[in-house]
Amino acid sequence: MKSITLGQFYPSDSILHRLDPRMKVILAVLYIVATFLCKNVLSFALLLLSAIVLILISKIPMKLVLGGIKAILFIMAFTALINVFFTKGETPIVEWRFIHIYAEGLWQALFMIVRITVLIVGTSMLLTYTTTPIMLTDALEQLLAPLRVLHIPVHEFAMMMTIALRFIPTLVEETNKIMSAQKARGADFTSGSLISRAKALIPILIPLFVSAFRRADELATAMECRCYHGGAGRTRMTILHYSPKDFVALAVIVVFGAGIIVLNRLGIGYTM
Amino acid sequence: MSKITLENISYVYSPGTPFEMHALEGINLNIRENAITGLIGHTGSGKSTLVQLLNGLTRPTSGRVLLDGKDIWQEPKKIKQVRFRVGLVMQYPEYQLFEETVRADIAFGPKNMGLSAQEIAERVSEAALLTGLDESLLDHSPFDLSGGQKRRVAIAGVIAMRPEVLVLDEPAAGLDPRGRDTILNMLRDYQQKTGATVMIVSHSMEDMARFCDDIIVLAHGKLVMQGRGHEVFARSRELSDVGLNIPEISRLCLMLRERGIPMDDGIFTVEQAEQCLLRLLESREQRTEGYV
Ligand SMILES: Nc1ncnc2c1ncn2[C@@H]1O[C@H](COP(=O)(O)OP(=O)(O)OP(=O)(O)O)[C@@H](O)[C@H]1O
Ligand SMILES: [Mg+2]
Repeated sequence: MKSITLGQFYPSDSILHRLDPRMKVILAVLYIVATFLCKNVLSFALLLLSAIVLILISKIPMKLVLGGIKAILFIMAFTALINVFFTKGETPIVEWRFIHIYAEGLWQALFMIVRITVLIVGTSMLLTYTTTPIMLTDALEQLLAPLRVLHIPVHEFAMMMTIALRFIPTLVEETNKIMSAQKARGADFTSGSLISRAKALIPILIPLFVSAFRRADELATAMECRCYHGGAGRTRMTILHYSPKDFVALAVIVVFGAGIIVLNRLGIGYTM
Repeated sequence: MSKITLENISYVYSPGTPFEMHALEGINLNIRENAITGLIGHTGSGKSTLVQLLNGLTRPTSGRVLLDGKDIWQEPKKIKQVRFRVGLVMQYPEYQLFEETVRADIAFGPKNMGLSAQEIAERVSEAALLTGLDESLLDHSPFDLSGGQKRRVAIAGVIAMRPEVLVLDEPAAGLDPRGRDTILNMLRDYQQKTGATVMIVSHSMEDMARFCDDIIVLAHGKLVMQGRGHEVFARSRELSDVGLNIPEISRLCLMLRERGIPMDDGIFTVEQAEQCLLRLLESREQRTEGYV
């Protein structure tokens, strides 16, 4: 159970959690395209609404989602300022010395903020919050399988990814244990000069590397003992199946995209 | 006299997330000075969580940890001093060795205490002697030793700090019976030589029955029993109710009693069982003689 605490995955039984991960990757790509199609107030309003709906049906606490957005607040503020000050337009609002602010600039800034927010919220609702990293690599492997024709070792990359993801929580846990053990012998990681702090890491890093190599070795042996020899002819234990709800979700997002295009045509207010 | 007292201790992992886990709830207990206390409980009962509270590695979600009657978290800045006074050997400590030589690894703790080179050397030799490590091993790399030897080096690394309380999380786990006995015998010798307070965590009732003065039993994060060994093992029925394997011999006595043989309660060594059986046989012979 602990392996799924990695990243942002938030366990729940919402419909988004139950969609096929391959479909979720496709939906996320389409959703990103949709955010870039938006051009005017109406389509951006629909976009914002869709993000709120996504949060609601994912059953993920609003607090958590807002916390995630807080992390990119700086980027958003920066983008907004650039847009406010550097967009040229026809309806000036402030003209003072070298500062020229146009109504168009304000609209542009607002649209950019909505777009970035929705991009983050949308992809995290569809992917990171509702899909375990292992499921995600599985889905990517299958979606990218056609690339094998170009001699790209898709399976091997996916396997490496899966193993890495699988062992990150293990390594984190191990790091914590080793740190505790050295702290119990009076090691101090938080005070002293930069050099002494860097030195204090040695008692953690050495045992960590030793055990990581030991683990890698054991895993390789275990895989060989079970006759692992790469992707060719390998069958899967969990076979992904598209179910009707996946196609309903696809239909919904196509209609949503069409809606955005129609609203763009209405030409109300400022158009990007 | 109680060396360490836990007052109404609770501990929650990842509070406020869907992974919230109440590992300990409302624990009150006393650890007696100059004695060996055994902490037993099934897998996941919260033993490791509890011992990490004793030296301030983690801070309880609620409740207080008293060392010699003083709250160890009174001055959080001085928690390091508490860690030198309460030495903790974690579960599978052999994976924490990192120095080039065994000697340097054992010296890690004393060095952090800021002792002089001479004092450190003295303590390393003393710890090696107490844990039964040969002088010639001290200049080897710790990575070249056997599992049991590594375990001793790790224990020596904590003993070298001369802690007033020595806490060991499953010191005998994963060793063969001989290795287990050596380590546990060594700990008992250590306790008798130094008069330290010792606490041993274990799954094994048998080991605990043989080596500990006091026993504390945890189940599902709650304290089930605490007391002298014979008091706790006298309640073998309750122990098996919370899913603990009572010593084989205790179980045998329990089964005999169920079949109507009046065995004493609280037998946990073969010697005790032997004496009880002999007594029963004698009284029976007397009775049969009476009939003749
Ligand atoms: N870092 C952690 N994060 C979340 N939960 C944890 C963590 N460590 C332990 N737990 C949980 O707390 C409970 C008590 O764990 P603890 O390690 O104290 O048990 P234990 O009695 O030492 O078990 P064992 O005999 O297997 O060593 C377990 O249910 C465990 O899953
Ligand atoms: Mg444990």
